[in-house]
Amino acid sequence: MDGLVTTAIIGLSLGVEYALLSLGFTLIFGILGVINFAHGGFYMIGGYAAYAAVHFAGMPFPAAVATAMLVTALLGYVCELLLIDRYVSDHLTPMMITLGLYLIISTALIVVFGPEPADFSFPIRGSLRSGGIYITYANLIVLLVCATVIAAVYLLMYRTDFGLALRAMADNREVATALGMRPAQYFPLAFGLATGLAGLTGALVTPTLTLSPFLGDSILGMSFLIVILGGLGSLGGAVIASFIVGIVEAYSRVYLGGSKGALALFVVVLIILVVRPNGLMGRIGRPA
Amino acid sequence: MTGMKFSQTCDRDRRVGGYGLHVAAAIVALAAASGAAQAQECQVKLGAMGPMSGGAAAWGLALRQGVEFVAAQANADGGVQVGDRKCRVSVMSYDSKYSAEGAASAANSMASDNIKLIIGPVGSPEATGAKPVAQRNGQITFNSSYAKDAIGPETPLAFHQLAGPAQWAPKIVAAAKQKFGIKSVVVVAPNDQGGTDVASVNAKAYEADGIRTKQEYYQRGTTNFAPLVTRIMNENPDAVDTASSPPADGATMVKQLLEAGYGGVFGRLGGPGTLEIIKAAGGVKELKNFYWLELVPTEDEKIVALQKDFKTVMKADAPNNTLLYTAAAAARMVLKAVTAAGTADDAPAVAKALHNLEPVDPYLGKGTWKGKAAFGIQQELVFPVGLGLIVDGKSLGVTAVDLADSK
Amino acid sequence: MRNMLRTIAFTDWLSIAILLAFAIVPFLTGDFFTLSLTNQILIAVTAALSVHIMLRMDLLSFAVPAFMAIGGYAAAMTAQAGATNLVVLLAVSFASAAIVALPLGALVLRLRGVYFVLVTFIFTEILQLLIFETPGLTGGSNGIPRIPAPTLGPLVLNTNHLIVLVSICVAVIATVVTMGLTRRYGQEFASIEENETLAQSLGLVAWHYRTIGFVVAGGIAGMAGFALVNLLLTAHPTSFTSMSSVFYIAYVLIGGRRTILGAVVGSCLLVWATKVFSSHGEYSAGFFGLLLIIVVTAAPNGLVGLAQHLLGRVKPRSASPRPEVADAHV
Repeated sequence: MDGLVTTAIIGLSLGVEYALLSLGFTLIFGILGVINFAHGGFYMIGGYAAYAAVHFAGMPFPAAVATAMLVTALLGYVCELLLIDRYVSDHLTPMMITLGLYLIISTALIVVFGPEPADFSFPIRGSLRSGGIYITYANLIVLLVCATVIAAVYLLMYRTDFGLALRAMADNREVATALGMRPAQYFPLAFGLATGLAGLTGALVTPTLTLSPFLGDSILGMSFLIVILGGLGSLGGAVIASFIVGIVEAYSRVYLGGSKGALALFVVVLIILVVRPNGLMGRIGRPA
Repeated sequence: MTGMKFSQTCDRDRRVGGYGLHVAAAIVALAAASGAAQAQECQVKLGAMGPMSGGAAAWGLALRQGVEFVAAQANADGGVQVGDRKCRVSVMSYDSKYSAEGAASAANSMASDNIKLIIGPVGSPEATGAKPVAQRNGQITFNSSYAKDAIGPETPLAFHQLAGPAQWAPKIVAAAKQKFGIKSVVVVAPNDQGGTDVASVNAKAYEADGIRTKQEYYQRGTTNFAPLVTRIMNENPDAVDTASSPPADGATMVKQLLEAGYGGVFGRLGGPGTLEIIKAAGGVKELKNFYWLELVPTEDEKIVALQKDFKTVMKADAPNNTLLYTAAAAARMVLKAVTAAGTADDAPAVAKALHNLEPVDPYLGKGTWKGKAAFGIQQELVFPVGLGLIVDGKSLGVTAVDLADSK
Repeated sequence: MRNMLRTIAFTDWLSIAILLAFAIVPFLTGDFFTLSLTNQILIAVTAALSVHIMLRMDLLSFAVPAFMAIGGYAAAMTAQAGATNLVVLLAVSFASAAIVALPLGALVLRLRGVYFVLVTFIFTEILQLLIFETPGLTGGSNGIPRIPAPTLGPLVLNTNHLIVLVSICVAVIATVVTMGLTRRYGQEFASIEENETLAQSLGLVAWHYRTIGFVVAGGIAGMAGFALVNLLLTAHPTSFTSMSSVFYIAYVLIGGRRTILGAVVGSCLLVWATKVFSSHGEYSAGFFGLLLIIVVTAAPNGLVGLAQHLLGRVKPRSASPRPEVADAHV
């Protein structure tokens, strides 16, 4: 019984982390129509920026996390403006650009910080415990912050003019442009917001696990899987998919273990997609 | 455009005599220079092959630094004796990307640069890819793979740089059992060849010692080990051996096991990164009980001397990864064999000289050639390894374990 | 339209000519670097053609490494069972991948755009895990080592030179098959790419053509897998990771997605660059990334697209009045 509850807690905390991670990915997807291959790269930059802020600038952890978010958001903004913006109308060219960016980011992190994992851990240790069931304080804090940020993103998208404009862009770029909204203004902002969210997740989550320059691939794979499963560009779908993936992953890895657990997760996703070809809450497909 | 071309042609016509003179002078100068170079300088080219990007980069980079260190030392002594000449040692490195085709391609690139003596590759997929190609190309390789077929009789130019798990696992397991009274263990490693090669051999060693053993394989790329930790906690073993899982994975696992309330012993037979694990646990006290393998006895005074010499010669700190030491030892053996064989181009001759050389290293001490029992060919370069211990929250340091009497 | 066909035909012939020109390489040089580079380019071209076919139908496939694995492992097992004849191995590698592609296609070809991308990505991941979980059949994480070299009558194809010839054989067959397919179904593919709903309402049974394309693309990837396994003499799971699919896609997009020549040019440039960068240690991946960004921003339609565009501009009064070939489909 304890095992079942502990697994559920693991699944939920995985779900919340995945949700924050994939919000950024789905924003870029929905609004720009770009598969951002550098998403895992920005996650790592977030982690290393927070690490550098704590270890070299002596910042307190919360300030370091905020700095990391700002740094990644700014980097994302600049990358969009300089590299991606001109090619947004094509879907494949930005994909190649972000792939190139990702390779450059990983290389730069290895060269600057070395290939070994960085010495970066959450400032608070210990766990909340009741019998065999437990959750670490670190995870609890991450969970609360993630939930708050997700709520904030929701409010931003559905209760502000900025959000309305972004959603209009996502729904129909031509109409939105005809109504006087300028993509040139909104695209870099949307991209920066998304990479900032990735950076924030990296800064929060990597100290509870391990910060190394090789996390990008699996982070990208996971975000991609969740966002598509949720339905293209749907914020609600991404959140629901995050929890489904988190729970399925937790139970399959605990009770099936290793390769079989991973296999179970992929098969579940495959079945869902075959039954619902546009994802859980998706509209019609956008061309690749 | 056309006008310019025309004037150039005129120009050339007028100066044709001058041109000829220049060319002649250049040819003479070149010939003289190359003649002089041949008389004074010859070159022994060593290849350093390993993963230098991606998740296993720390290994390849340490290996390269080991080879570069030996080359720099040899050059500081005036070069390596080949026949009646002293030759400079140069090192070329290639990123073999921890994949079979990366290593095969690296071996071919080195062959076209006329590199016949290669230290590396590192991982099992790389060794699988490099062995047949290097054999075809007439190149010696010194891989550090833990694969069951890392070397073999069908590739007589492939050597093994270090002792494999079949050599050290029984000894370390016996020591750990005696120290901690372990009755059950879970061995954890990634589900690819880099994991299964070591974990399966470790598991056999535990079982042979009467320890109840379970193997757990996780998907490579996993970042959160909470599900796996829950699975291990359900087993409630006396010890958890993180085997050859990468340093980041091992560190996360140990951290999350401690958070889950695990109170047993930790083991690490196969992978580097014990420093990261101690840090992730929050210190030696929190880690409490830990046994691990080091590729070399890291606290031996001669090893410390190597770190100092490295700093003097290379003007940089020695890397943390212990593959540095075994790669350096292999490179040194190869250079000795070059002197003994009187050639750096004939790989079979150098291989033959290697067989006749007693493995002695100024830093690693006396070693032995092994491999007949495990691989069917006596080409495994075995020096003493290290056993590290933390008992009841106190570090007992790393002691040397001699493998001369193992199989 | 006729002009477009003629141009495509010209670039296709150029592709074949380039590939056949590689056949001279083993006779000119014994240099290991050159031979190994040639081999890798030819394998990359074959894999990239599989991506190209799918892109002609506006589908981006990440399943190329999966089909390569199926073809490669099937050929490896056949050779180990004693059937080492090159023709047999080629047929086995093509057929095995194509046979798997048929039911899979029925299942996933309903998906569009990024949904299709994800499903093909997951398929590659699943196949990789299945290899790990079936050590009895596939050797698990250790792969299948020491595969006997293919034979052609009394000739054993086991030297560096002969391996290049096998790879050329594979690449040329793949190109001819792709040419045949895109010629035969060129119009159908084009109308699917432009507007499937319209195509369907005009009576074009889109799924029928898509299935043909998917099965042939799978078979071609299977042959690429055979060529790779033949080069390494080993079938190993690390040769077929899902991340490698990204690079095959890059070869096509960098070269130009509209023509077969694009796949050839992109493979040549990027494989060569990878080899050159490999001697720069930890910087290699970064250089590759930089190259991708530079090429793709300078030539968003790929290098061949750029060349066609430039040629079109330089010779505005060539045989026909429609010079803008690069945009013919858009």
